[in-house]
Amino acid sequence: MTCRDFIDAAEALTPLESGLVETRNEQLSAHARECTGCGKWMESQRLLGNALQVLRARTAQREAGPKVEQAVLQAFRRQGFEPVAAVAPERAAPAAWKLSRFFELSAYAAVAAALIVGIFLGARMWRDQQAPQTQIQARETLVPQPANPQAAMLSYNGKPSERVPTEVAQKLVNSAKTKGAISSGERRQTANRQSGATTAERQGFVALMFCDPLICSGEEQVIRMELPGSASASAEDNGSQPVIADVVIGDDGLVRAMRIVNQ
Amino acid sequence: MLTEQTDEQLLAQALDGNEDAFTALYRRRQGPVYRFALHMSGSPQVAEEVTQDVFMFLLQRGRGFDPSRGAVGAYLFGVARNYVRRAMEKSHSEAMMTTPAEDDDPSLVTNCDPVDGIARGQTSKAVWKAVLSLPEHYREAVVLCDLQELSYADAAEALGCAIGTIRSRLHRGHEMLVRKLQSSAPALAGFSSDAARCLS
Repeated sequence: MTCRDFIDAAEALTPLESGLVETRNEQLSAHARECTGCGKWMESQRLLGNALQVLRARTAQREAGPKVEQAVLQAFRRQGFEPVAAVAPERAAPAAWKLSRFFELSAYAAVAAALIVGIFLGARMWRDQQAPQTQIQARETLVPQPANPQAAMLSYNGKPSERVPTEVAQKLVNSAKTKGAISSGERRQTANRQSGATTAERQGFVALMFCDPLICSGEEQVIRMELPGSASASAEDNGSQPVIADVVIGDDGLVRAMRIVNQ
Repeated sequence: MLTEQTDEQLLAQALDGNEDAFTALYRRRQGPVYRFALHMSGSPQVAEEVTQDVFMFLLQRGRGFDPSRGAVGAYLFGVARNYVRRAMEKSHSEAMMTTPAEDDDPSLVTNCDPVDGIARGQTSKAVWKAVLSLPEHYREAVVLCDLQELSYADAAEALGCAIGTIRSRLHRGHEMLVRKLQSSAPALAGFSSDAARCLS
């Protein structure tokens, strides 16, 4: 038996019992005889046990006085036990009871909160999973996508833009598909612009900028403007005659297209 | 008849208005509660107040007692512990703690000669003083397990902690007590030779 085993085994005994260790456990007593340190420890525990026993014996007959008994019994006769309904929060109740009640209520609250959060998150995830599919489907039905990605790059006069590479156009089409979330107002405006573009193409407008459907959303207006003659590079009289032009302006203030009227 | 019944049975009858049952329960439990408060505070006055408060508390909250949560005895010790703690928080109680009450009951030393009695008195006073100087957690464990002779399980129930906690607090409390008593060697040495013989 090691000293650690000895201490562990002896600790299981109260000091009063440790005085009886020699008769209870031969191993313990043998180790206490062989090991000086453990022997001293055991002796100190025995002395402590005896000292505590003396204190206990000297106070064993001490009790509350008759006045206390009288007061308590009078209170019992006067009011008895108070009903449960009148019980206020237990300030002097044992801590273990208060704690167990606290943990019980906390556990109920935690389970309820977890259920609420779980339901909320589940509903939100389900909605998020459902929404993109329906929106993409709706968008595909409302705004027909060109079979060829290059079609997205068509300018108002129906010619592909030479400055924008095909890969970029493909990317723009893909992002338009994956983003998906287009409001109904935007869909309507995009559709209007598509129809406006075909009208513009028919009427001879020249596109001045590349306009992706997602970027150039919003209403457009056609405004007839009088420009100085120098605006026309082909003016033979070197800008003496003003140039009348119809300009397509988006609601962002940028010019989409224009046509010369009086040339 | 009533003396053979358990605390829980007496309490149940007392709750139905049986005064004899309540009196029997009081007389059975007031002594341990009083001695616990006395050992913890060192003051008979505080011990009496705590005993009265504990049973008044039982009258007020006795209907809320749940036997499935523990025994009546452990419940009363738990309540007493809180009242003792309140009493200790008062400034005048701190002064009481350092000086245990004199115990002049001569009936305890009738089997020994007067010299032994004096030695026992000195020893018990020194031990009590050492107990009172322990930190509260260790003092509670020592008082309940060593002086009230509660089992580790009952003490754990009264203090609202695990049995392992009681064991470790008790072990630590014993180490501190041994050191304190060794520093007051004359009293302990006198006890070890004389009073141990008297007790054997």
